[in-house]
Amino acid sequence: MNDSQDRSSGKITRRHFLLGAGALSLAAAVGADLILPDNMLAMPNSEGFLLVDLKKCQGCGTCMMACALAHTGVASYQLARIQIQQDSFANWPEDIFMATCRQCQDAPCVDACPVEPVKANRPHPEYGNVRMIDQKLCIGCQACIEACPFTPKRVQWDHVIERSQKCDLCADSPYLGERGGPGGTQTCVKVCPVNAIAFTRIMPDQSLEESYFVNLRGPAWGKLGMSTK
Amino acid sequence: MPLYGYAGKILRLDLTQRKAIVIETEKYRRWGGGHGMGSALFWDFCKDKTITDGRHPANVCCIMTSPLNGTIVPSAGGRCEVVGVGVGMYPISWFTRSGFGGRFSTMLKYAGWDGIVIEGKADKPVWVDIRNDQVSFRDAVNLWGKDTWTTQQEIWRQIGIQPETKHQWQDLQELELLTKEQRKGKDQGRTTQKSAILTIGPAGENQTAHASLIHDAGNGAGQGGFGAVWGSKNLKAISVLGTGSIRVADPKAIIRARMVTKEKYVSSWERPDLRSWTRLGGFPRPIIFVRPPTNDRRPQSCQGCINGCRTRYNVGYGNESSCQETAWYGSFARKVAKSPAENTEINLRSADIVQRYGFNSFLFQTGLHWLEHLYEEGLLGPGKKIHSDLPWKEIGTLPFAEKLVHALSAKTDIGADMADGWVQAAIKWGREKDLHTGAMQFSYWGIPEHGYDPRAELEWGYGSIMGDRDTNTHCFNQIFTTVSAAFAFAMPIRIEAEEMVNLHARKLSPYAKGRPEVLDFSDANMYSEAVAQLVRWQQHYCRFFKQSALFCDLKWPDFYSTNTPNLEGATASSDAGEQVFWNAVTGDKLTFEDGIELGRKIWNLDNAIWVLQGRHRDIVHFAPYVYETKYEKGELFPFYMWPCRDEKGKWQYTDLMGRSLDRGKFEEWKTIFYKLEGWNTKTGSPKRSTLEKMDMKFAADALQAAGRLGEEEV
Repeated sequence: MNDSQDRSSGKITRRHFLLGAGALSLAAAVGADLILPDNMLAMPNSEGFLLVDLKKCQGCGTCMMACALAHTGVASYQLARIQIQQDSFANWPEDIFMATCRQCQDAPCVDACPVEPVKANRPHPEYGNVRMIDQKLCIGCQACIEACPFTPKRVQWDHVIERSQKCDLCADSPYLGERGGPGGTQTCVKVCPVNAIAFTRIMPDQSLEESYFVNLRGPAWGKLGMSTK
Repeated sequence: MPLYGYAGKILRLDLTQRKAIVIETEKYRRWGGGHGMGSALFWDFCKDKTITDGRHPANVCCIMTSPLNGTIVPSAGGRCEVVGVGVGMYPISWFTRSGFGGRFSTMLKYAGWDGIVIEGKADKPVWVDIRNDQVSFRDAVNLWGKDTWTTQQEIWRQIGIQPETKHQWQDLQELELLTKEQRKGKDQGRTTQKSAILTIGPAGENQTAHASLIHDAGNGAGQGGFGAVWGSKNLKAISVLGTGSIRVADPKAIIRARMVTKEKYVSSWERPDLRSWTRLGGFPRPIIFVRPPTNDRRPQSCQGCINGCRTRYNVGYGNESSCQETAWYGSFARKVAKSPAENTEINLRSADIVQRYGFNSFLFQTGLHWLEHLYEEGLLGPGKKIHSDLPWKEIGTLPFAEKLVHALSAKTDIGADMADGWVQAAIKWGREKDLHTGAMQFSYWGIPEHGYDPRAELEWGYGSIMGDRDTNTHCFNQIFTTVSAAFAFAMPIRIEAEEMVNLHARKLSPYAKGRPEVLDFSDANMYSEAVAQLVRWQQHYCRFFKQSALFCDLKWPDFYSTNTPNLEGATASSDAGEQVFWNAVTGDKLTFEDGIELGRKIWNLDNAIWVLQGRHRDIVHFAPYVYETKYEKGELFPFYMWPCRDEKGKWQYTDLMGRSLDRGKFEEWKTIFYKLEGWNTKTGSPKRSTLEKMDMKFAADALQAAGRLGEEEV
């Protein structure tokens, strides 16, 4: 991580701007403090991020199923905002990949959302500017999915209701039973049996995919005979 | 009202006609799921319940999930139950069961199916391709002969699954092998997952008694010989890809109970107790019987598990193998390995071999010692009475392991005689006396002793012989392993004997609640009504909670736990007990005792099937050596520690080795057991009054029609 606490505090220090005909309306919707000169809008940094330990995950899928349960009340792989991929025939550590939304500083998925006057996909000021999709506003165009540059895409397509969805750090998780979002509980973090997922308020280096991959293996891991390196 | 926890449909595969037929789950809801539903489906769809060989065309094999599969219920989300008539048992291959873990059952639920009923026989090898509600029978001629790992990877290739671990979402309608109509049909969704595949290897194709079903690298349904059942039906594999979801009654309650499990019952990562006494609450550790080849590894688990018991390494072998398959060659490899590292490598590569052949290594548990005994006695080998060209001098080496497994899978060499069962081979070879001397320790139903000898661990042995197979239910077994290990390695006794039995007795509702004496396996109590109640409780608990609700055998029941202040485990608790999760998922108002009662019904349905197959109390007995010789050599430890009362009634951990079973007293114990179960004490057959009280008149009628209904007794 190369960013400072101040940088991820939610203050407008971003240099990336949203332009367009609906900019002013959007600014009004998300808060006047986001209005910058020349009708340009800044995208405030998310106040929270998920980190994962690719070498630690046991592949139980509990985070996926719990994520879907907390958000939608159903158990599912496809509706999970975190995707765990594994190949039973590959060797450690290439056998598992953990795909979490990065809450990007630039957030191409937010950029791409064409909904006006208020974007369906936008940083939510009430929830630490986490990038959230409002499915009531989503028009199902999938532009956000197309825009996500990662493999696999961190925005999911719900083919039943034909709307996009993404990780909101559990800000809108009606079945979690406790407050989510930055400052609250993230279901996947809390439910993971081996603590292979962590929450941080410090923005990881945006230039490296690896900056979201961390070592969460403490002394107990080593005592169990597994590498802590 | 929706069927919370269920997908709502069961898939019936008629292999003969290559037809996929939908059954509504609702009709079988009363049986819960898993084994219960499987037994009921078998009852309805197997037209000849007198068959005694699973390779018979009339056999029906059910692959069943539970409402808890595909959810986060701890260590219950990923198990899968297999039922049908087995292969290779003796004297009768019973209607029996097996199970496996991984992600197959989860994926099947997400594809919209609560289970699969397999019937008939395909005219040539097929594999079945399930993608949500799209079910296709595909030619498997090019897969026949391939091992289980190659088969799965080849199916992924044929479907068009991206080969990398990390890959992009895949649209189900853009995958391979689809018809135009399927491509244009309703949106089937996207997935990041690889299909879950259950397959057989060469051992199954050749219909040998030692054939298993394999999923992913190391999940196997071994006992029962279901690989041979599939082979007889020309069914090579079933691949499932699902993008749906499962509605649950109370998602908040499920999440809350899961959190309680982690925070209250499971060892804390912050304050780790690496030697805690618990089943559910341990850390993820591979259950392997050799030193791990490397620390560069991870735990690996079934879906929803709270502490994985398998592992994947960076060394390229041994991935996902655990427990018995990592030990089948152990005592032989140890003799030839020049270093601990080499010993590990031989054992884990031998595990890979049995996984790839789809071979049930459990039969080697005591079986390979017997074969070695025959070789050392000069009875088996080139030109011997039992001819074998296998290089027996090389036993313990890796090449020998592969040659042996190959021969037994391909029905070559001694494999030709052993394909129908090991005891059958012993009889063919004139070696029945080995079942008297104990040279061949196949204790019950032609199946090897598990390491938990029936002369010592009574609930294991009695449960096996009163059931259909080596029970392989570890409800109480951890008492032996934990306490014996503490004695062996001078570790602290965390729970003394009296407290241990009392902790159990608090949760043994209804039959043995508050009766710690049910766990007293001393000579004075070993044929008692109390022990019969314990065996009943175990059978009924397992038939529902473990084999139908599909709580993992290795984690549940959780009677005791040094992670909690009062040492009580999660089982039957009001905050994270089995019934709490069941109700949160299904919306039922099931009590723990209701679950035991449902297990009793399922157990009775199974017994009705066994009776139709030809069971009578006269054939319910152990192999002769159990009565005729003393248990003097333990597999794991030189003693067998168990809580017993002494002459003064004081509880203490006591060594149970050195005794045999008394045939007459065991027969008396059977009478007690039958009486408690409401079965006729002369025949062991269920009585009409017993069945009708459980709303099972249909079973009573069928038994009566077959002349096998148990007579009422005063």
